[in-house]
Amino acid sequence: MTEAAPSTVSSGRRRWPKRATLLVQYLLLQPLIIVLCLLVLRIPPPEPPSRYLVTDFNLRESGAEQVVTLPHFTASRHTMNDPPRYSGRFTWPGGEPRPAWSVMLPRFTNGVEVAINGVVILDSRRNPAANRPDRNTPEIAVIPASLLREGTNDLSIRLFVWGPIRGFLDRLYVGPDAELRPSYDMRMLLFVTLPVVFSAWQAILAVILGIMWVMRRHEPAYGVLAAAMAIGVGQAFFQTPLEASAFSRLNAILISAAPLESALVLAFALLFFGWKWPRYGWLIFAPGLVVAAAGLVGDATLSRDAFMLVGAPTVGLYLIALALVIGHAVWQRQDAVSVMLGCALTIVLTCWVLDLLSVTQLVPSRRIMFARLSYSAMLVAIGAALTWRFARALNQVDGFAASMVAQVREAEDKLKASFVREEERARAAALARERTRLMRDLHDGLGGQLVSIVALSERGNAGAGIGDAARAALKDLRLVIDSMDDIGGDLMLALGSWRERATAQLRPHDIALVWRAVDPQGLPVHPELRPWHVIQIVRLLDEAVTNAVKHAEARRITVSIETTIDVQADSQPLARGRITIEDDGKGFELDPADRWDPGGEAAAAAQHAARGLRNMRSRAARCGAELELTSDAGGTRVRLTLPHRFPDSDAAAG
Amino acid sequence: MSVLSDQGASQPVSILLVEDDAPTLWRLQDALTKAGFQVTSAATLADARASLAQAGPKVLLTDLQLPDGHGNELIRETRRRCPDTEIMVISILGDEESVISAITVGATGYLLKDAFPTDIAATVRELVAGHSPISASIARFIVRRTQSTAEPPPGPPLNTAKLTPREIDILWGIAKGFSYAEIAGHLGLSRQTVPGHIKNIYRKLEVHTRGEAVFEALQQGLIRL
Repeated sequence: MTEAAPSTVSSGRRRWPKRATLLVQYLLLQPLIIVLCLLVLRIPPPEPPSRYLVTDFNLRESGAEQVVTLPHFTASRHTMNDPPRYSGRFTWPGGEPRPAWSVMLPRFTNGVEVAINGVVILDSRRNPAANRPDRNTPEIAVIPASLLREGTNDLSIRLFVWGPIRGFLDRLYVGPDAELRPSYDMRMLLFVTLPVVFSAWQAILAVILGIMWVMRRHEPAYGVLAAAMAIGVGQAFFQTPLEASAFSRLNAILISAAPLESALVLAFALLFFGWKWPRYGWLIFAPGLVVAAAGLVGDATLSRDAFMLVGAPTVGLYLIALALVIGHAVWQRQDAVSVMLGCALTIVLTCWVLDLLSVTQLVPSRRIMFARLSYSAMLVAIGAALTWRFARALNQVDGFAASMVAQVREAEDKLKASFVREEERARAAALARERTRLMRDLHDGLGGQLVSIVALSERGNAGAGIGDAARAALKDLRLVIDSMDDIGGDLMLALGSWRERATAQLRPHDIALVWRAVDPQGLPVHPELRPWHVIQIVRLLDEAVTNAVKHAEARRITVSIETTIDVQADSQPLARGRITIEDDGKGFELDPADRWDPGGEAAAAAQHAARGLRNMRSRAARCGAELELTSDAGGTRVRLTLPHRFPDSDAAAG
Repeated sequence: MSVLSDQGASQPVSILLVEDDAPTLWRLQDALTKAGFQVTSAATLADARASLAQAGPKVLLTDLQLPDGHGNELIRETRRRCPDTEIMVISILGDEESVISAITVGATGYLLKDAFPTDIAATVRELVAGHSPISASIARFIVRRTQSTAEPPPGPPLNTAKLTPREIDILWGIAKGFSYAEIAGHLGLSRQTVPGHIKNIYRKLEVHTRGEAVFEALQQGLIRL
C-alpha cells in the first residue's frame, strides 16, 4: 500500500506537478496538526486549588511499607486481594460555620476505596464509568460531618488494580466541597458526559447508516461504518464487570472492541475510497477475533494480556494503514473530504501515541487518555460527513430529475421538429412525383396538341388569334409545371423562368424587358413559400406585363428586384422583398368608374386594366403582399412588396 | 436575315430537322429556311439515320418522341459519328424530363416547339456560334441536383460531380434570371467567357464512358422517357 500507486498511470502527465504540490502540502499540514494537538493536550485538566492537595502517603503493599508522594504508580496485578493501601493525613480546621468537606480523586486506575478515620465513604468499583481505564473518571465523596475530627484526620485509600496496566493514583484533594466540586464537575463533563454524548450520537448514526446500507446494498461502506459505530456504542454502554457473573465472559469480549472497530474503520476507508477488496482482506479482523476468543475462553487475565499484546498494536497498525489509505486518497482524488479525513486521523493517531506513551510510562504523565474520545469524535464527524454527502446526492438526484425532464422535453421538441421536417420532405417528394407525372401527361397530350394548334394557326392568317390563345395556354402550362418545382423558398428561381417567358412574350411586340436586380441574392429566402404563392405572384407579374403590352403602348418595361429592410420600432428589422414593374406607356385611369363611357375605346382599355387591377389586388392579398399602383401619362408603376412571412393558407383572401 | 459571319455567306449552315408532327415540322422548317439555313427534314428515326449516313449536318434538331424510336438514340449516334455536329432537342414544354436526358446523351440546347420563328432562327444561330443556350428552369434543375439530398430526387439521373464551383455559381445566376453580363459582373468574369463555361457544363453533364453509358441505359430503362 504505497502512495505512488498504479493510479499515476491513468492520470495525465501534466497533472503530476499539481498533484505532487497538493500531496506535499498535505504532508506538511500533518506535523502542524500534531504540534497543535500536543499544545492543546498540554493544557492541564481542571484542578481544585492546590492548598487542598494531599500528596504524602504511607504505602503498604505486599507487607512492605514505604513513604510515597502522589502521583504514584504501582505494579500491575491480577488479584483484588490485598490491594496497595495508601495512608495519609489531612487537617480539618473545624470551627463555625462548618462547610461540607469532600475527598476528590481526579484520576486513578483502576478502582479506589476511600476511608476516613477508618470508615469507608467511597468505593469506585460500584461506578461502572470509573472502572474503565480509558475514561478519565474522577471521583468525589462528601465526608460525613460526624466522621471529621477537628485537627488531624486519617485518610486511607485502597487502590485496586486489575492488569494489564499498572495502577496509578493521582494527587488527591481534601477540602470544602464547594471548592472541589467545580473542577470535579468539569472533569465529569469532559471525560464522562462528552463520551456518552458522542456515543449516543454514534448510536443514532449507526442506525441511519445501517438503514442506508440496507436500502443500498451495493454500497457496503455504509454498512461497515454502521458496524464500527455499533461496536463503539456497545463498548461505551456495556458495563465492565468486576465480579464473576453469568455474562462476564460475554462481557469480556468487549475488550476486543477496539481492534475490531479499527479493522472496520479501515475496511470502511478501503471501500469508501474505491479500493478493490483484497483477497485476504478479511484477515484484518483476525486480531480482534483472537482477543474476543481469549475473552471467551480464558480468564480475565488472559483476555487483558491478549488485549495488550495483540489488540493495542493492532489498533496502532490499522491507524497507520488508515493514514496511508487516506494519504493515497488525497493523492488520487485531491478532494476536501480526503484531506479532512486525513487531518482527523492524524489527531486520533497523535492521541493514541500519547496514550501509549503514557500507559507505558515512557513520558511523565498524569495518565489522562484521549484516544477514545478523539476516535469517537472522528467517527461522529465521518458519519455527519456521510449524511451530508447523502443529502447532497439527493439534491443531485433532484437536479438530475429536473435536467432529465428538460432533456426529455428538448428531445420531444426535436422529435416534433424532425417529424415536421420529415412530413415537409415527404410532402415535397410527393409533390415532385406528382409534378413529374403531370409533366409527362401534359407533354404527351395537351402540350403536343397545343403546339399543333400553334403550328396550324400560323399556316393561314385567319388563325392568328387561335395561335395566340394556344401559345398563351402553353405558356400557362409551363408556368403551372414550373411553379410545382421545389425552389427551396427562393422566389428568384421562379422569377428567372418568368423572365425568360416574359422576354419571349415581349420580343414580337418589340418591347424591351430591362431587368434590375440590386444584388445577386435578389430577394429574401422564404422557407414557407408554396407553389400556390409562386403562381399568384408570377400571374400577378404576368398581368402587369400584359397590361403594359395591351393597353399602355409601352416600349420598355423595367423589372426591379430588391430587398428592403422594414424597421419597426418594437421589433427586429424585417427583410422584405420588393418587385417593381414600370413601363414607359401612356398610363391609364386607376378608377374608370368616375368617367364611365361604355362606347369609348379608352374606356374599354381602362375597363380591361381595371379588371386586371382587381385580379392583381386579389392575388397580392392572397399572398399577404402589398400592392402599390401608380399610373400617369409618363407610365405605370406596379410595386409589389412581399410579406415577411407568406401565409399558410389563402384563407386571407376573404 | 443572314447566317453568322464566321460561317461565311457562301456556305449555308446545314440542318437536319427530325420531327414527326407535320404542322410543327413545316413551321420549324419554314422559320429556319427563311433565316437562310439549309434544312433537311426527317419524320422518323430511320429517315434521320439515312440522312445522317449521307452527310453529317452542322446542326441536328430532333424531337424526342418519334414513331420508330426515341430521339435520344439519334442524339447518341450522331454524337459518336459526327462529333462536330451541334445537337438541339425540340421540346414542347422545355421541361427537365426531356431536356436533361437529351443533355446527358450529348445535346447542347433545346428549342421550344411554339417559339416564334425569329427566336427559332436566333437560337440556332447562337448555337452555331458556339453559344449553347440554357434556360433558367434547366439551370435550376442542374444546380438543385448539385445540392446533396438524402434520397435521389425524382426526374432523370444526372451526375453533377464534375462541375466546378464557378460553373455552379454561373448556373445559379442563370436560374435566378440574370443575364450573362450580370453573372459575369457578379462573379468577376469577363462577359465573353460565360458562354464557354456553359458549353463546358453541357460537356461535363454528358455521359461519356462505356460504364457510364451502361449505367445510364439502365437508368433510362428504369425511368420512363
